[in-house]
This record gives sequence, structure tokens and C-alpha cells, in this order.
Amino acid sequence: MPVLFFAAIMKTNALHRSLVTTLVVSLVLSVSCQRSTSSTKELTLAINSGVEGDALKQAARDYEAQTGVHINIAEFPYANLFEKELIDLNSRTGAYDLIMLDDPWFPRFAAKQFLTDLAPLLQKKGVPVADADFVQASLALCKHPYETGALYALPYVGNSQLFFYRKDLFEKHQLKEPATWDDVLAAAKTIQDKESAGANKMYGYVMRAAQGNAAVADFMPIFWAFGAEMFDASGKPTVNSAEGIAALKFMLELGKYSPPGYASFNADEVGAHLLQGTAAMSINWPAWITSFSDAGKSKVIGKMAFTTLPAAKRSGQAEIGNWLIAIPREAKNADAAIDFLLWATTANEMKRSALRGNPPTRKSVFTDPELVARFPSYPAQMRSLETSRPRPRTPQWNEIENAFGIFLSKANSGELSAEDALNQANAEIEKILQRGQ
Amino acid sequence: MPKLKRFSSAASSPSDRRLAYLFLAPAIAVLLSLSIYPLIYSLTVSLQVESPTGGRWSLGNFQRLLSDNFFLSAMEHTFIYAACALICEFMLGLALALLLNHEIRGRGVFRAALLVPMMLPAVVVGVVWRLMLNPNFGAINGTLKGFGFNTEALTWTASPRLALLSVIVVDIWQWTPFVFLVLLAGLQAIPQEPYEAAKIDGSSQWQTFRYVTLPLLKPAILIALLLRTMDLLRVFDQIFILTEGGPGFATETISLYIYRAAFRFFDFGYAAAMSFVLLAITNVISVVYIRFLQTREAS
Repeated sequence: MPVLFFAAIMKTNALHRSLVTTLVVSLVLSVSCQRSTSSTKELTLAINSGVEGDALKQAARDYEAQTGVHINIAEFPYANLFEKELIDLNSRTGAYDLIMLDDPWFPRFAAKQFLTDLAPLLQKKGVPVADADFVQASLALCKHPYETGALYALPYVGNSQLFFYRKDLFEKHQLKEPATWDDVLAAAKTIQDKESAGANKMYGYVMRAAQGNAAVADFMPIFWAFGAEMFDASGKPTVNSAEGIAALKFMLELGKYSPPGYASFNADEVGAHLLQGTAAMSINWPAWITSFSDAGKSKVIGKMAFTTLPAAKRSGQAEIGNWLIAIPREAKNADAAIDFLLWATTANEMKRSALRGNPPTRKSVFTDPELVARFPSYPAQMRSLETSRPRPRTPQWNEIENAFGIFLSKANSGELSAEDALNQANAEIEKILQRGQ
Repeated sequence: MPKLKRFSSAASSPSDRRLAYLFLAPAIAVLLSLSIYPLIYSLTVSLQVESPTGGRWSLGNFQRLLSDNFFLSAMEHTFIYAACALICEFMLGLALALLLNHEIRGRGVFRAALLVPMMLPAVVVGVVWRLMLNPNFGAINGTLKGFGFNTEALTWTASPRLALLSVIVVDIWQWTPFVFLVLLAGLQAIPQEPYEAAKIDGSSQWQTFRYVTLPLLKPAILIALLLRTMDLLRVFDQIFILTEGGPGFATETISLYIYRAAFRFFDFGYAAAMSFVLLAITNVISVVYIRFLQTREAS
């Protein structure tokens, strides 16, 4: 077809010929331009648009000023970042030299061998592979298989869940900081009964049980504390164990003290209730902490306290949710990328990131006196992070979390009983695992 | 003159024919690359199942549909959604079109105002209704509370019973104007003579409507229903914003589930298979009621 196309044009007059020449020349020029830029020192970063990505973006600008390495930033909202990265990794285009990733995505990327093993690069730079200053739970996420395997990423933002509560109300009603889930339920009842006045309802607890990530994230700490496990030693799903059902029944009980409609709540609704002072407790992520002291948004300035998650049969464990930085296997400038990665995760740079609002992953930064003075919740955050648990490390986590979340949401909206919800969830999870084999 | 003749006949010489192909080439290239090729490619994707050794050919994706409770339930929601919304939009649209086809005061203002919802992007509609339907801070419960109603149980998008109803109401609110617009255009195109004849023959208002207006409006009705059906079966954006398919799975339609399979689970084969099923169903339904309306017209 193109031959015919050109032949037909060439036969016509000189004007056409000159037009074609111009086209061809400009095409050749544009191709050669692309060639020439890729040989200079530059890096391309895929980051999350939000507080976590913003800190890295600012760090990248500092790095640019210090070293002259040009850094391109490709910024995507959370939901799109995963698809963009997976498409790039899958098609091996090498568009990004560094990618920011949420830790539940890591098993999928690592299992498909999409990421660069960092050990050889670190050895070349003369840097020890296991930096003891990183919180163990955070570094374990960056290895495939979990905790024991090769290192494919470094942890950048050290989020883990915290238990939020209204210390003013706890003091007023002579309640102790909740150590167990039973304490939580009793406190929720007391506060809701005594603080509600007519139309101004005060809810004892607020949780989010929208299908998907939200419901699962709020359920896991209860599920684990009640002694339940998602999988047994052979990898079979066990969410409908007696412990699991007891945990969900407890969640539904606690739901009676949560605002109506919580079965469709996401993080925003939970945040709004806490900021408006219409709910007394919740599980939440550290990113919300600063907003409580913002006079423009918060009616509860100085009234919130933060602690580790309550216990039941077992001690309380938070879900970990770290942001990692990795180098795709097809990255064009792996050598320059590891330099930037090491620089961005030094204690010094991580402190700057912490000042920009991101919890660190280094113990020395968590215990930095200046930061502790500024962020009084840091000791609790570090304790929570050190004892936290990851979501199950499986490449099919997205699908499993989706199915599990649907049934948790159904139970919380009253559509299914706790037993039915977990039996059906277990069957769906089993199907997903079978498909993966 | 001879020059004109050369271009008017289909192909008088080989070089002219080549020139004709040349002029057609861009259009064909665009069609091939943007429609035909992706369609065939997605069909091949739907016929492959991922395995540890790479993709292999199989009907597995289509077999899986039958045993997938989520798929069947999403299909059910899609049909309930489409049927309820279509009936309400048609009834309301027809009533409004008949009303505003008369000379009433402020007709222009009403017509313009009625079209506003349709012009808003679906995402904006979703966000606005999400705020209005919020059980604690929303305008709807706030207003009801003002009138002294107990709104405790009215959790709209969070209740498994009310959620589907809520998203249907939003669709009706947004898309009734479209049906109204098409039917109004249809009504205005009907000539006055049949009405005069009916009047002379002494037919009642109902008879005039039933035997004059409706049959003459049939082409417009057909177009409005057809376009709405196709749109309703692939509804995505408002629901995605309003409920994201929840609570639980109560408002998950097939398009949402396809999106999830493709971009959250990265199972493009399965997503493509579901898309083809949706395409087939949409085609069948469209053909069925085009026929239905045509035969009724003939009788």
C-alpha cells in the first residue's frame, strides 16, 4: 500500500514532490531528535499523585539542582498508577527508570520478574544490601519471596494503620485507652449513649465497609486479633473459620455504633465524621493525622489521640501499607536510577520527606527528636509499623481483596449473615486461586 | 466537460481507479486501524487463557462466564437497571414532549431548563448526586428532616435495597430530557392535516393520540428507545462515581465488572469475552425491537 501511495504521488507535479520531501525530512529529523535526547543523563519516575508522590517530586527537583540529572515525572492518580505501571512492565517498553508502588502490588510485579534485583547494583556501589536502619517489617515487603528473597525495592513511605480515638471523651467518661476490642465496644456504647443529645447524634465508632479495599482494610486488624488467618499452611483459603466468623460478627456488632450507611463508606466519609466530631473512634491511616490540627477543617483540634491496634485472642496488629520504589527490569538508566534511589532513601532525605508529611521507614528518622516534637504520634506509629502485618503476599491479591470486600460489605449492609458472607467469600477465593494455577 | 465526465463515471481508466483508491485510502486506513483491527484483536484476546507458559488458545473465558456468580449477578443488575430506567424515561419523556408541544406560556424557558441535566458530564452528575444522597450531610435527607421525617433508615446508596433504585433515579433525571427532545422533534414533524381529518371524523382526544399521534411518532420513538437501550446496557460513569458497584455488589453492572476484570485484575481475556457477550446481547435486543416496531407499523 505505501509503495502504491508514493508512486501515485510521485507521478504528479513538482509541488507534490516537494511536499513529500518536506514530510520525509521532518520525519527523519524527529526520529533523530528522539535518539539524541536519550543519550543524555535523565531519569523518568512514575509516581502517585498525592502527598506521597509530592514529597518524591520535590526531592527529585532537589536532586536535579544538586547533580544536574534531568528528572521527568509521570504523575498518575492512585487507581491509574497501577495500570500504567503494569502496562509498561508487561510490554517491556522501559518507559520508567523508577516506579513508586503500593506494597500489595509488589508480589505481582516481582513474581513476573518485572523488577531489577538491587543486590548487584548495591554491591557495585559498595553499599550493604541489608540496611539495619530500615524498619524490619518495611524491608521485608521489598523482598520476593516475602522477607527471605532477593531485594527488588526500597521502602519510601512507612504507613501502617493506627487506632484513632477522642481522648477528651475518654477522659470525660473515665475510660482507659482501649487495649482490647472488647474495650472498644464498651467505650463505643458508653460514648454513644451519653454523648448523643436529640438530633445531634454522636457515634461511638466509625468504620468503612465499602466493597473492595475499604472493607478489607478495616476488617483485617479485627480478623487477625481474633486469631483468624486468610490461608492455612497449604495455601487453602480459611476465611470462614470459626475465628473468622467470630471476627465478622464482632465487626457487625461494632457496626451498630457506626453511622448508618457505613457499608458504603470510604476513607473520606470516615475522615469527615472524625473531623466533624460526630464519631469517637476509628482505624485509620497516619496521613489523616495532620488534618485534625487544621482549623479550617477540624472541630476536634487537640482532642484526638493515636495508639496501636487493640488486641483480642492475639495481640493487635495493623495492616502495613508502605510505598516502595523499584527499578523496572527494562529501565534504560538503571545505574543512574539506583543512585537516585539510594539518595532519596538516606536518613537525611527521608527526614525531609517526613517534614513534607510522609511517615518514614527508618528507625533513626522515627526517633529524630525534632520530628517527634513536631509529630507526637511518631512513637505510636513506629510501634504500630514494627508489629504490623502485610496483606497476604499473593500475585492475585487484587482479585481476592475485591471478592472478600464484596462479601464483607454485603454482611455489613445486612444483605448476608456473617456465616453466609464468609462461606461465599471462601468459595470465591478458592475459585480465584484455582484459576491462578 | 470531458474532465467532469471522467470523475463522474466510477472508473474509466486504471490510473483513475488508482487515484480513487488513493483518496479512499486514508478513510480505510483509519477504519481498519481504529475499528476493525482492535475488534479482531480483542476477539483473539478473548480466546486466549493465560497460563504459566504464556497464552494458549481456549474457550475457557467463555466457559467461565457461566459459572461466575459475579458475572451473572452483574448481568441481572444491568437488565433491571436498563428496563426500569427505559420505561420511566420513555413515559416521562413522552408526557413532557406532549405537554410542551402545546402553546403554553414560558414554553421556551421550560424546554431549555429541561435540557440542562443532559448537558452535564456524567461524572459531574455522579458527584452532585453523591453529595445530595449522602445520608448524613446530603440535601435530600436534610430537606426531609426539615419536614419532620425520620431519615435514619434512608441511607440511599448504602442500603442494598435502595442503592439500585437510587442509581436508576439519577439516570432518569439525567436522560429523560434526551427522550423528551427526540420525541418533541418527532411531534413537531407531524403535519396538521391528519389531526384536522380526525377532528372532522369526530374522534376523541384519546383516539387522536392513539391512532394519529402514536403511529406517526413511531420513528422518533424507535430512535429514542434504541439509543437509550444501547446506552443503558453499557452504563458506567454515574454508577462508578455514585456507588462503585456497592454496597456489596448491589449496583455492579456489567461494564463496571468488565472494567474491574481488565484494569484491576489485568485479565484482559476474560474482560474481552464479557464485552463480546454484552455486544451480542445489545445487538439482539436492538434487532428484536426494531422488528417488533416495524411489524406493528405494517399491521
